[in-house]
Amino acid sequence: MTTLAVPARARARGAANVWAFVRRHVLAFYAALFFLYLLLPIGVVIVFSFNQPVGKFNYTWHEFTFDNWRYWNGVPGIQSAITLSLEIAALASVIATALGTLIALALVRYGFRGRGVTNLLIFLPLSTPEIVMGASLLTLFLNLNFVFGFWTILIAHVMFCISFAVVSVKARLIGFDRHLEEAAMDLGANEWVTFQKVTLPLIAPAILAALLLCFAVSVDDFVVTYFNSGSEVTFPLFVWGAARIGAPPQVNVIGSAIFIIALTAMLLNVAVQTRRTKGAVTE
Amino acid sequence: MTQSQFTRQELLRRGLAGSALLTVPGLLAACGGSGSKSAATSTGAKQQLAKTLHFSNWTLYIDVNNKTKAHPSLQEFQQKYGTHVDYVEDINDNASYFGKIQGALSRGQSIGRDIVVLTDNDRYLSLMIKKGWAEKLDKSAIPNIKNLVEVQRHPTFDPNREYSLPWQSGMTGIAYNDTLTGPVLSVTDLLENSKLKGKVTVLNSMGDALTLVMLANGDDPTKVTDKSFNAAFNRIKKAVDSKQIRQFTGNDYAPSLAKGDLAAAMSWSGDIAQIGNSHIHWSVPKDGGALWTDNMLIPKGGNVYTASVYMNYVYDPAVAGLMEAGDPKKNITGIYYIPPVIGAKQAALKLNPSVANNQLIFPSAKTLSRVHLFDSAALNNQKYLTQWQNLISG
Amino acid sequence: MKWFHRHRGLMPYVMLAPGLAFLAVFFLVPLGFLAYQSLESGNIDFGYAFTWSWGNYGSAFTDYRPEFVRSIEYAGIATILALVLSYPVAYWIAFRGGRWKNLLLLMIVAPFFVTYLIRTLAWETILSDNGVVVRILQHLHLVSPGGHVLATGTAVIAGITYNFLPFMALPLYVSLEQIDHRLIEAAEDLYASSWKAFLKVTVPLSLPGVVAGTLLTFIPAAGDFINAQLLGAPQNHMIGNVIQSKFLELTDYPAAAAMSFILMGAIIVAVAAYARAVGTEQLSGTAV
Repeated sequence: MTTLAVPARARARGAANVWAFVRRHVLAFYAALFFLYLLLPIGVVIVFSFNQPVGKFNYTWHEFTFDNWRYWNGVPGIQSAITLSLEIAALASVIATALGTLIALALVRYGFRGRGVTNLLIFLPLSTPEIVMGASLLTLFLNLNFVFGFWTILIAHVMFCISFAVVSVKARLIGFDRHLEEAAMDLGANEWVTFQKVTLPLIAPAILAALLLCFAVSVDDFVVTYFNSGSEVTFPLFVWGAARIGAPPQVNVIGSAIFIIALTAMLLNVAVQTRRTKGAVTE
Repeated sequence: MTQSQFTRQELLRRGLAGSALLTVPGLLAACGGSGSKSAATSTGAKQQLAKTLHFSNWTLYIDVNNKTKAHPSLQEFQQKYGTHVDYVEDINDNASYFGKIQGALSRGQSIGRDIVVLTDNDRYLSLMIKKGWAEKLDKSAIPNIKNLVEVQRHPTFDPNREYSLPWQSGMTGIAYNDTLTGPVLSVTDLLENSKLKGKVTVLNSMGDALTLVMLANGDDPTKVTDKSFNAAFNRIKKAVDSKQIRQFTGNDYAPSLAKGDLAAAMSWSGDIAQIGNSHIHWSVPKDGGALWTDNMLIPKGGNVYTASVYMNYVYDPAVAGLMEAGDPKKNITGIYYIPPVIGAKQAALKLNPSVANNQLIFPSAKTLSRVHLFDSAALNNQKYLTQWQNLISG
Repeated sequence: MKWFHRHRGLMPYVMLAPGLAFLAVFFLVPLGFLAYQSLESGNIDFGYAFTWSWGNYGSAFTDYRPEFVRSIEYAGIATILALVLSYPVAYWIAFRGGRWKNLLLLMIVAPFFVTYLIRTLAWETILSDNGVVVRILQHLHLVSPGGHVLATGTAVIAGITYNFLPFMALPLYVSLEQIDHRLIEAAEDLYASSWKAFLKVTVPLSLPGVVAGTLLTFIPAAGDFINAQLLGAPQNHMIGNVIQSKFLELTDYPAAAAMSFILMGAIIVAVAAYARAVGTEQLSGTAV
């Protein structure tokens, strides 16, 4: 669509300007409300992580305290649950990103038969309801006598993370310049050296983004894990159980901590990207 | 990057265990163990206590120190026997817990637990025993079994107590929040008083719910007929359709009741005693309530000896008394259900007289005469079960 | 390495193999197992046997028609709500975001950084019967006095809308962002009204985003059971609740598998139709 060359005209019309002004501010006001709505539950989660509840239930505000943060692991089971979630997320995101990056590179760099099928296979898991993925893996594991636990959770998480990794890496490789690799090869570098010296540095930000995305998706997963965890308890499963008897404020503490850490990581990522694009422009 | 190092070690450790599991499932099934846990169950270590006892229980179902959130009876057990109890509150209702573990058990795999607790007014306890998924207790390690109360000695699902021992009993009745409603003392009130519309819940356990409604209908819940089942079922269904009933719950009614989203709830005696909210009252309904008992079982592959030693420990009247009544001086809250251990009351009297004299926790013969155990044949009636499940899940 | 040099045509397949093999084994094969299981009969007491029992599908459909219909209905309403709510914001960020674009996008995905269950529980707190929100709604006569929002279809739809909103907003933003501003300026000249220009140019050009966002919202919403479980009453339960309880509580695997397949089948048909219309590359390209 960029081929449609349309000359930019700077013909100002008063009425349109007023309309544009109104529209701009109505939209901005609406956007502010929208973000308020979007962030309200997050605010509630964070605020209640500082609550000193009366009795057992952390629903009404009573008193400010740091105790829940200080004794974040005071509730039995919460520490092992979050440890398991982090272990799974770390392993799943690394494996899925490795597999996904290879697929994305193949899709971007090469023309080959079977692209359509490949794209479909990548897209299908994204378009399958989690409950169906969880259920089908459950039947697989049951029929093959797998022992439910760490490994079944890990397999499940790698499975649904791969597509996210592929899509995420691919999105950032669209502008990838094949000529740089070809130039390196012309200069005598073999495929492996080219990959190490040229390709990898170029795609590193894409890989990092995919890692973060997979990590976030894995840490947050409830449904697929619920079906395939056996007697292991990840953090979301812990929350599910805890919710039945009134989730303790420590659940809010962990929830807030995950939020803050993820947000910081993403902010850094955004900052780096902004600097990079700025640098690219000034060069 | 300590993280990556840790992950590598972890990966290696899990990798070894995992590849063993993936490659020789048949072998594992044959010896009934699972990976790392099988070490504890191997025959050589039979009369030796395991380092860790894996115990799955229901939520809010053990003594707790309100300050540290630790469980004093488990700490004492560790001090005495050197075995750490990995205590997990991951049972919310019998059906979903059974669903979670049956896959592994049906394949002869261990579920990584040494003790689980299931209820006698649901079908899964007897199913576990019938299917051979429970280990026999090591009674030589449980001399305290002599303290088991008489009425619990010969239940139909385990006539000689070879596989199971009661953890606690409890009563099913009605609780209400007095800031939102006047006293709710009957099933009729709960299900048909329009002032409570959308503010009440009913238990999702068929035995509990139907016992109360059948009693209110003037039917006998210990001998269910199609007619009495249909009458009770339709009465509940009517209350669902009229939006009187807000939800079916496990013990998740407790937070909602305290928060004020619910005015009244069909509920279990001990939960309400534990909430410790003076606005919430519990009683056996006018026409009678339900009685049930939760039983400890050793699932296949669990460490029989260690589990039996633990069972013996909780059948010590002094321990049972502390677990039940807590100790206000040390800020310990007890279980507040009904202990199956002779002598627990005497021990409790010394620690917490008000609890020891509470009719809900140490009920008199008169109170017990008003609560009934649901018909066990009806619990296994597939037609009833499907009908019930469809009602509560859709 | 030399070998690869000579067979460069094989390179893409070598790179695809591990990932696609993993997906084949742990995504496609399980679906096969699920299909197999859906044609079995029997129960947990006596075991299951494969008997080509197509009746599972029939009875799943007739016994649980209300839940299927409700799933489609709730997911549909939530998708439309999400579209209407997030389109103006996606537009605003794409055209007026300026240097704050990345930051604003980050705010859109922020809810994803709070565990799904925790944010749903937060809504349970916010919408509590004695909470501020319900009181205000009661004052405005949107909720009857003494009425409640929790345990109603409204709460379930609101929860679903909230939880999947970023899935809608992001693709919308991506497609709006790609629109050449000069096209819109030209259209404004042509139609002499920026509103008309918006309808004639911007909206059609953002359709790929609408399609992707609709799919990405509708699909998980139709299979969801958490919102109905935590925010709804039994009358509001969706097919996900039934599948979940059949699998994990009743252990009625064949019926549960059949239901999963009906759900999956309906979705595959929808996706295939969309894929034909916009192409698979486009679909997965706009997904993130």
